[in-house]
Formats: sequence, C-alpha cells, structure tokens
Amino acid sequence: MGRRRQWHIPSWVMFSPYLFLLVAFGVVPIILAFGSSMGTSMANKDGGLDNYWLVITDFRFLPALRNVAIFLVIYVPVMLFVVTVMAILLDVRHGSRNKYLMLALIVPAAITGSVAILVWYFMLEPTLSPFRDVLNAMGITQARQIWNSGNMAFIFAAMAFFTGAGYWILIQYGSLQSISDEILEAAHLDGAGPVQMAVHIKLPLIKKYLVFMAVLTFAAGLQLFVEPQLISSSVYVGIAKGWSLNQVSYDLAFASANFAGAAALSLLLLLVCLVAGLLLIFKTDFFDRSEHLAR
Amino acid sequence: MGVSGFSIGRYTVLGLFALVSVIPMIWLLLAPSKTGAQLQSMSPFAFGSFDNYILAWNNLQSLDEGVIVRWIMNSVTYTAFIVFVSVVTATLAGFVLAATRLPFKQFWLIVTLIAMLVPPVALVLPLFIEIKTLGLFDSPWAVMLTSSLFPFGTFLAYIYFATSVPRELYEAAKIDGCNEYQIFWWVARPLARPLLGILAFFAFVATWTNYFLPFVLLASNENYTLPLGLGVLFSATPALNPGLGATQLPIGRPEVALAGLLVAIPILVVFLLSQRFLVRGMLAGGVKS
Repeated sequence: MGRRRQWHIPSWVMFSPYLFLLVAFGVVPIILAFGSSMGTSMANKDGGLDNYWLVITDFRFLPALRNVAIFLVIYVPVMLFVVTVMAILLDVRHGSRNKYLMLALIVPAAITGSVAILVWYFMLEPTLSPFRDVLNAMGITQARQIWNSGNMAFIFAAMAFFTGAGYWILIQYGSLQSISDEILEAAHLDGAGPVQMAVHIKLPLIKKYLVFMAVLTFAAGLQLFVEPQLISSSVYVGIAKGWSLNQVSYDLAFASANFAGAAALSLLLLLVCLVAGLLLIFKTDFFDRSEHLAR
Repeated sequence: MGVSGFSIGRYTVLGLFALVSVIPMIWLLLAPSKTGAQLQSMSPFAFGSFDNYILAWNNLQSLDEGVIVRWIMNSVTYTAFIVFVSVVTATLAGFVLAATRLPFKQFWLIVTLIAMLVPPVALVLPLFIEIKTLGLFDSPWAVMLTSSLFPFGTFLAYIYFATSVPRELYEAAKIDGCNEYQIFWWVARPLARPLLGILAFFAFVATWTNYFLPFVLLASNENYTLPLGLGVLFSATPALNPGLGATQLPIGRPEVALAGLLVAIPILVVFLLSQRFLVRGMLAGGVKS
C-alpha cells in the first residue's frame, strides 16, 4: 500500500502546475461566466435563463449571425480547397525546392492581429499597394470601392485565410507524408497518374486530417473578433461595428454594461466550439491512436 | 509532354501562391525605408534609405514619451514568462500522462483534448469576468497567468513521451529504483530537446501576436503589449485614417509600418530558425509516430 502511494505522489506533484492552470483558467472562468450569465441587467431585472433568450432575440444578434455565417461559408471551403491542392502539389515531388516553397507559404502567418490590419490596409489601398496594377485592372482606383460593408465578409475571409493557410498546408503536407510508400508504389505500377493518385489514393487517406482542419477552422472562424473590431474602431470607423458575434458580446459587456447578456452569448459560442471539439474526439477516428497509447 | 506539362503547371501554381504570400512581408520590410510622400510616389518595391528607419524610430518615440519602448519591453517580458511557464508545465504534465501512473489519466487526457480544441478566443470574456473577480484587472499578471495554460503543448508532450521515447527506458529506470522525478530528470528530460523546441515555438508565436486577451484584460497604455500599441497608433494618429485629423505627432505611415514590422520580425525570424523541425512539429499534433 505504502509503495503504491509513493508511486503516485511524484506524478501528482509534476502534474499539478498544469492542472492548476487548467482548472484556474480553463474551468473556473466557464463556471463564473455561467454564474454571470444568470445575473441581472438593465435589460433583464430578473436575470436567470431569460438572458440567453434575450441575447438571441437582441436586434444585433441576427445580423451578426448572418455576417459570421457568410464569412464561414466563404472561408472554410476556400481554406479546405486551397490547402488541399497546395499540399498535394507540394507532395508530388519531394525536391529541395519544397523547403523554400513551404517557407514562403508560412510567411503570411507572421502577419496576424493588428499587423494584419496594417498590412491589409496598404494591400487594398489602390494608390499604395504592391498589387495596385491588379487592383487597377479590376477597375478599383479608390479604397472606398473595396472597403464597403458588402465586401467585409470577403475581406475578413481573405485575412483569415492568409494567416492560417501556411500552417495548414504544412500540416496537410505532413499528413500526406504518412501515406506508406508501398501504397503509392502499387498505384504507380497500376498506371495511376499524379491526378488519379491524388483523387483516388491520397485524398481518401488524409480525409480525417481534412475533417480535423474543417472543424478547427470553423470553430476559430466562429470566434472572429480582432479584425472587424480594429478596422471598425480606428481605420474605417463604424464599417464593421457589431459585425461578428464576439463583437456583439463585447459591445454588450463594455458598451451596454450588460454583463449577463455578454456572458450568455460568449457561453453560447463556447458551447458550439465544445460540441465541435467533442465530435472530433468521439465521432471521428482522429484521436484513436492516442487513446490507444494511453493504455 | 504530359508529365512536363503537369510539372510546369505545378510550379506555376505553387510559385504564384508563394509569391503572393511573400509580397506583403517584403512590402512591410521596405515601407519604413521611405518617407510618407515616397510611399506614394515610389514603386512599392523600391528601397528608400536606411536613414528613414532611424528617423521613423525616433519619430515613434514622440508618442507618450517613448511608450513604444515600454510596449516592446512588456511584450518581451510577458512572452518570456508565458513561454517558460507554459513549456515547463506542459512538458511535465505530458510526461506524467505518458510515462507514469496517474489516477483518472484517461479523463485528464480528454479534458486536455477539449481544452486544446476550443479556440482561446472563446474564453476571453469568461476570463475577463474571473480576472475582475480576482482584482487582477489591468495587471500584467492577468495576461501572464491566463496565457500560460497550454493544453496543446501538454498533448504534444504526451504524444512525444509516449511514442518517441521507448517505454522500456522508463521501465528500466523504474527497475533500477528511480522514482518519477528521477525518471523525468535522467531519462525523459535529456531526450526532450526537440520537443522543447516545438513547444517553445508554438507558445512564442501564439503569445507574441495575441491581441484579444490582453486587449480585454489590460487598460493602461503602459501595460500594453506591442500588438496592442500598434492598435493605439491606428487610433491615435492619422496614419491609416486621415479623418482622425492631423496631430502634433510626427507619426505617419512609415512610422506605423515600422511598428508593425517590429511585431512581425521576431515571428519571421523564429520561422526561419525553426523551419527544419516545423513540418515534423506540425505533424506531431497528428498521429504519425
């Protein structure tokens, strides 16, 4: 008995710093936010679960939901398609050029958050942009032609795409490497060309990585905040005010002093991401091997 | 013909995409070398002069008595703390999950997976409520503590210690009478160098560029990080929005571009330094062993 107890104490000691952070900043905030979401506000003097209903029926909710939905419908499929194509093209030949290509593709990942706003401001400013010839050829000579509310979903999708594409291409390129050489060799002997190889052999074999990517890009996209908030608060003022769901939550908290509503909305968004995560863990085979390893 | 046609097409598509990917960064590197007027008159890819970088840097210092230096120091301090704490805690936890006996191990693994799959942004408002309750609002500790939770790192460390280190090594050390601390220190730690590099890479990139969390948890200018400071420059100067009117400050587009460059450069350097293990590290999040 004594020996077994000894066996566990060091494990707990080494595990506890992480466990403390996990509980303190992963679990406790959710419990506190749930408590807040039950609280009272000017909008709801009684508090309680009504806050959730009030937030969903808030006049700002539906437009933001629509914006984020359009953004996701553009962003997620484009991301999946381009990343898959690029990863497969890279994988066709494993030359030394691949190293430099991949390094180039990861560069935009360094341009994120407030730097992304700065850089995209210039990229889409027809008088200053390195792409100005392309913009002019499209008949765009003034920034206002691009920066209008109808285009916001496309602009935010483009920003998010370029920030994330490099990482995902590397990951999917990596997943393609895990396909065994024998399978590829056999397909090659059967006369499969590079395209057939990609569509009939490689794609089905990396499907679970693509599902993984689709769920994670969806979850991250749902939480869109920084880009619309920064653009709208300081560059093109008001152009994307309350544009995304997280902005609505932020405005509820800091502009309307309705913390209960803000907490309710952010918990609803968190819930969607939690469900997506749980589906990945329990309904796909993505983490199978790791659970098997856990013994 | 078919093969070489495919090959040409392949390099054209990849090459074009690579080109579009690097152009914004090249532009950003060159922008502060030009004056505001030159940004308009010269080619976007023209180089102005080195002196303009110095000039832009000196001009940036005119804001709030050189608060930009403070932002840089804050970014460096917060990031150093967070990278250190998150990498150490994740490595230890990953080791415990992979190589020792721990009650409810499966449960901790699943909780870690869930925490890793939920985007950090989703927790910002709940964390704000917690930080307010703790009385830590607008304290650097608010950012440093909350950002040190690194479930993705724990998962990577777990995969690493479970697959890259042969289980027999742990068993042998146990038979030789080592306890868990000793197994970690003498067996796992010396073999964990590649892992530490990958973890530090991810922790650094995520922390250095983080915007939303510090934006919500901090309030005073002097506690801000460099990315937050860049946001301040957007709204405090007419650089990106002439509508904000001329201020007394000599901060225009080249200055703001330089501030953006200061945020982007460390990430770029880290990419260059770590490209060797980048592909492998990315994949470690998957399941290839």
